[in-house]
Amino acid sequence: MTAPSSSLAPPAAEAAAGRWTFLRSQRAASIALLLPALVYLAVMTQAPFLLTLWYSFHNWILTSPELGHRWIGFENFSYALRDDPIFRTAIVNTLEITGAIVGGSLVLGLSFALLLNRSFPLRGVARALMIAPFFVMPTVNAVVQKNLFLNPIFGLVNWVTTSLGFHRVDWLAVHPKLAIISMAVWQWAPFMMLILLAGLQGISDEIREAARIDGAGPFAEFRKITLPLLGPYFELAVLLGMIYILQLFGEIFVATQGGPGTETTTVPYYVYQTISQANDVGTSSAQGVLAIIFSSIIAALLLRLLTRTFRRGLTS
Amino acid sequence: MTALSESVVGRVQRRLAVSRGVRLRPGAIGLNLLTYAIALFVFFPILWTVLAGFKSEVDAAATPPVLLFDATLDNYRAVFDANYMSFFKNTVLLAAGSTLLAMLLGLPAAYSLAFQPSKHTPKVLSWVLSTKMLPAVGALIPLIVIYKNVGLYDSRIGMILLYAALNLPLVIWMMRSFFADLPREILEAATVDGARFPTIMARIVLPLSAPGLAATGLLSLIFSWNEFLLAVNLTSANSGTLPVFISGFMTSEGLFWAKMSAASTLAIAPVILAGWLAQRSLVRGLTFGAVK
Repeated sequence: MTAPSSSLAPPAAEAAAGRWTFLRSQRAASIALLLPALVYLAVMTQAPFLLTLWYSFHNWILTSPELGHRWIGFENFSYALRDDPIFRTAIVNTLEITGAIVGGSLVLGLSFALLLNRSFPLRGVARALMIAPFFVMPTVNAVVQKNLFLNPIFGLVNWVTTSLGFHRVDWLAVHPKLAIISMAVWQWAPFMMLILLAGLQGISDEIREAARIDGAGPFAEFRKITLPLLGPYFELAVLLGMIYILQLFGEIFVATQGGPGTETTTVPYYVYQTISQANDVGTSSAQGVLAIIFSSIIAALLLRLLTRTFRRGLTS
Repeated sequence: MTALSESVVGRVQRRLAVSRGVRLRPGAIGLNLLTYAIALFVFFPILWTVLAGFKSEVDAAATPPVLLFDATLDNYRAVFDANYMSFFKNTVLLAAGSTLLAMLLGLPAAYSLAFQPSKHTPKVLSWVLSTKMLPAVGALIPLIVIYKNVGLYDSRIGMILLYAALNLPLVIWMMRSFFADLPREILEAATVDGARFPTIMARIVLPLSAPGLAATGLLSLIFSWNEFLLAVNLTSANSGTLPVFISGFMTSEGLFWAKMSAASTLAIAPVILAGWLAQRSLVRGLTFGAVK
């Protein structure tokens, strides 16, 4: 069967066998193409998680090797959840800061998207300017805002507020949470805007036209047509935003170092402190495991949404 | 004939729509001005940083702020003299290396998932994405311990390996979504002609999805370029990246705002340009292909 025999119809049995070998080889080929990526992902991302879980049951301090690493069961967890007031503060801070950033950037993002979802001159330029903050390195964002803008003496914000007759405020000392939140909202509002703008552009003119003919004013149109049709996009923007913003780290590292006190200590920052300052592998691993459990709940919701929409894209 | 008349009707309707949109109502002008004002306000911190990079140190910290100033390149000279360039080089190498590796692993996987889907495909995709959803702090501790033990701590290879894993889900999901948009007939024809995977990939699939490939590459570069948590914990003098350099700038340099601004401008300019280039596929990338 080496010579091409396209002109001859092969016997039925041979055709079936040929189809099977073809299918089998195609299946093998498709697995061969897929497997390297999956193995790589498993080794690089899943193995560390399992090790984190393993470490979390141990007492292990890097700077005290004489103690070794001893199995202590759930002690690290009970310490983190019951005896360590800072970890509880960190959870509350994380929820407050994440919630405020997601909410703030969602409201601003929606307003930006509504403004951009019209035809007007220089629309492309306005859009480009408005998405730029999303690409700014978080540490640059924090360094610039902390100094050029929020410095109590030389900062631009204080020049504006004192010029308007208000008091001078050391924002990072007096309102550290607000400062972190405003930095992050500046970065994440463009993200929300992009997703919601895509949603707005998917709403057909016929539906709007029909609503207008039925006598709907701009507000009724917004409330009855725009908002409901944007629903899945809101869901997507909020869940994706939460996944990323829960991990906020660079801004806090640079601008407040978790302080003053523990005002802006979030879970990621506290894990970092526990490993880099206390060198405590066991405790920091237990905190890491708790962070994973926490994020998994949100991730599960998001994955359900994404796999629901992955067959047909949201707009098509 | 029908096609022609339809296209004429379409064109007329579009022109009507355009003229309706452009007709200058006072409300529309107000909204336009508001949009411009907000766009400038949003962009202002970046603009202000770029300007401060060309100021003298005195002008950069002046109150009231100085708008007209003698532009100087001294800050850029100082930044280039510092060990900044080694951090810049590391950032370029890590971003490029990890993007390349993620593509090398991710493109065949995306091809397989797009063109030879099985009943397991949704599960596989969902698992791939779930690796991206979990917080990096959850993996941080073992990475520190292992990297220090096997000599990957503060090495470029170690960071490239990690960043490739972070970007792999993006490459797989985004490219799968672009591949799925290709007309299947072309591929089937190529398969019948006996072309094998490397040929099909290089001659047909990649050229046809070039814009998607470029956007995916740019997004992967951006994420690696800006990554901070792993960089600050796993690198130091040898393989440190720009986010780490910038975060250490204030503690080491004190109140040198002009130099800080010049260093910041150099760190963010390539990424903002890359982001603008990837604009059209940005939403698709950020939502893993859910929004097209």
